[in-house]
Amino acid sequence: MLTLTSPIDTWAHRLPAGPKLASLCGFTMLLFALNAPASLTLAAVFTTALIASGGHSFAGQSALMLRPLLPFVLIVALWHLILRDPSGITIILRMITAVAAANFVTMTTRLSDMISVLQRFARPLARLISPRSLALAIALTIRFVPTMLARAQSLGESWRARSPSRPRWRIFLPLTLAALDDADHVAEALRARGGTD
Amino acid sequence: MSNGITLDKTSVTLAGRVILSDLSLRLTEARIGIIGRNGSGKTTLLRLIAGLIPATSGRITIDGFAPTDRKAILPRLGILFQNPDHQILFPTVGEELAFGLRQMGQSQTQAEAAARDLLAAEGRRHWFDANTHSLSQGQRHYLCLLSVLLMAPRTILLDEPFAGLDLPTQARLARRLSALPQRLITISHDPAAVAQCDRILWLESGRIQADGPAAEILPAFTTAMAQIGERDADTDLAD
Amino acid sequence: MEKNLAHIALFAALIAVLGLVPKIDLASGVPITAQSLGIMLCGTVLGAKRGALAVLLFLTLTLAGLPLLSGGRGGLGLLASPTVGYIIGFPMAAFTAGLITTHLKTGIGYAATIGAALGGILLLNAVGVLGMSVMLDKSLPEAALLAAPFLVGDSIKAVLAGAITQAIAKMRPEALLSRA
Repeated sequence: MLTLTSPIDTWAHRLPAGPKLASLCGFTMLLFALNAPASLTLAAVFTTALIASGGHSFAGQSALMLRPLLPFVLIVALWHLILRDPSGITIILRMITAVAAANFVTMTTRLSDMISVLQRFARPLARLISPRSLALAIALTIRFVPTMLARAQSLGESWRARSPSRPRWRIFLPLTLAALDDADHVAEALRARGGTD
Repeated sequence: MSNGITLDKTSVTLAGRVILSDLSLRLTEARIGIIGRNGSGKTTLLRLIAGLIPATSGRITIDGFAPTDRKAILPRLGILFQNPDHQILFPTVGEELAFGLRQMGQSQTQAEAAARDLLAAEGRRHWFDANTHSLSQGQRHYLCLLSVLLMAPRTILLDEPFAGLDLPTQARLARRLSALPQRLITISHDPAAVAQCDRILWLESGRIQADGPAAEILPAFTTAMAQIGERDADTDLAD
Repeated sequence: MEKNLAHIALFAALIAVLGLVPKIDLASGVPITAQSLGIMLCGTVLGAKRGALAVLLFLTLTLAGLPLLSGGRGGLGLLASPTVGYIIGFPMAAFTAGLITTHLKTGIGYAATIGAALGGILLLNAVGVLGMSVMLDKSLPEAALLAAPFLVGDSIKAVLAGAITQAIAKMRPEALLSRA
């Protein structure tokens, strides 16, 4: 499956995931502690430099990943312009910097490395969910997203083959039923090969 | 310790309907075919033997063990499901193969090494990191067979093993299966799929209609199915 | 045990798929993504505990770097974005929807609709608005204004969740774990 890890290899891809996550954590807390526009600008420049170090296309990718923030940037900017309140700059700067820094870690860490760090975090929860079950559940979900997506597409095609309009909510029921059926089959296949214990 | 699969007055009732009634069987031959039309109860019989559903009454043993004793059953019984999408659990071929061995108590390293060895022996070394979703239908079917073979069970249940495969894939699979040292129990509605078996069980409405060598049972089955077909029999609804 | 695990994993995949299918014309010309419908269904079909675990599994994979959130979003940036409250609210919404579906002794359709509305609209938006208010440094009513335009689509989704859950209860009663 397509992950958000950037295929453009940067120096940061070679750093271990744990320390990267810890630094991100520290950096984000620092961002929310800072209020002076000057120090936030410094943090933003630092983050920009990090991203720019990955090269031209890497920086382009990270810019694209910031797109979901655009409506919020516009709303906050408009709001503060109307009220003539300069604190909007602080809010926007902090928001973009925090998200861009987090995206930087996501883009430079392989999914499997990220998951093994998460599993290390989940180890204290072993009594609630065993590490083996967690790993199995993660693998099953990754396995079935493309399968179910293909099924959603074929349901949509079967709709369009018989209807002039676009597929409506009616395909959700067969999709949900299919997920329940798949779950039964997976449970059987698991049991046939030794179950979860 | 007894060898083979025994059913002793076994019945299965699902949602109030009797699917299998009072079956008593002893299956010891190397190649066994179970044949019957849709709704005859053959898939239920397979799921019963595999331990996926419990018997409503009666007793069933696999090499002397109850199907619910999963630890004892794993090295004794494997099942190849009809639809590979109902069997493949993992995103990559390597994980799919290693899973069964991990369940049998091997370490991750051992299991992965065994999976790599098998793929290499099959001339498919490059499959290990491949995405299971990107394999063709025939390749997925083959992967399912490999993941069962890797666990080396003494008996393998095959549910319509040739359905949906093109002719070259069918021929390749048939060749691969006939060379296996294991006991194979093949379930099918197609007489051709079980023609090479030592023993054929013909299942009809949850009972054994006939039991004997292929040369004797299959012609009778084919004649009976042709007669039913002429009567336009699939207008009845199950309930 | 295998059954629980399989349901949790498959519904985590269902949430992802509902967020990835192209936007669907709900009523005439109001395109919405169905992801929050998936969150509601986790609760109303699987029940509180399994439903919340399915959502947590979905979020784990999304935060770890799979672009499974509607619009192809994912990664750690979600936790720093103004919509972080919705991320935190998702498992709570599924849990609440499941709790109400299981315990409200009305017909399954009504119980699931009410559960989906209270969990997937009221609670989810409460946590979501709180998040936006903190992240954007706005008062709660100001942040609530930002969420308001989505309430129409949300209400339709709650009714859909109820209808789908009812249909499952009718067609496959044994599969409806929230009422098992």
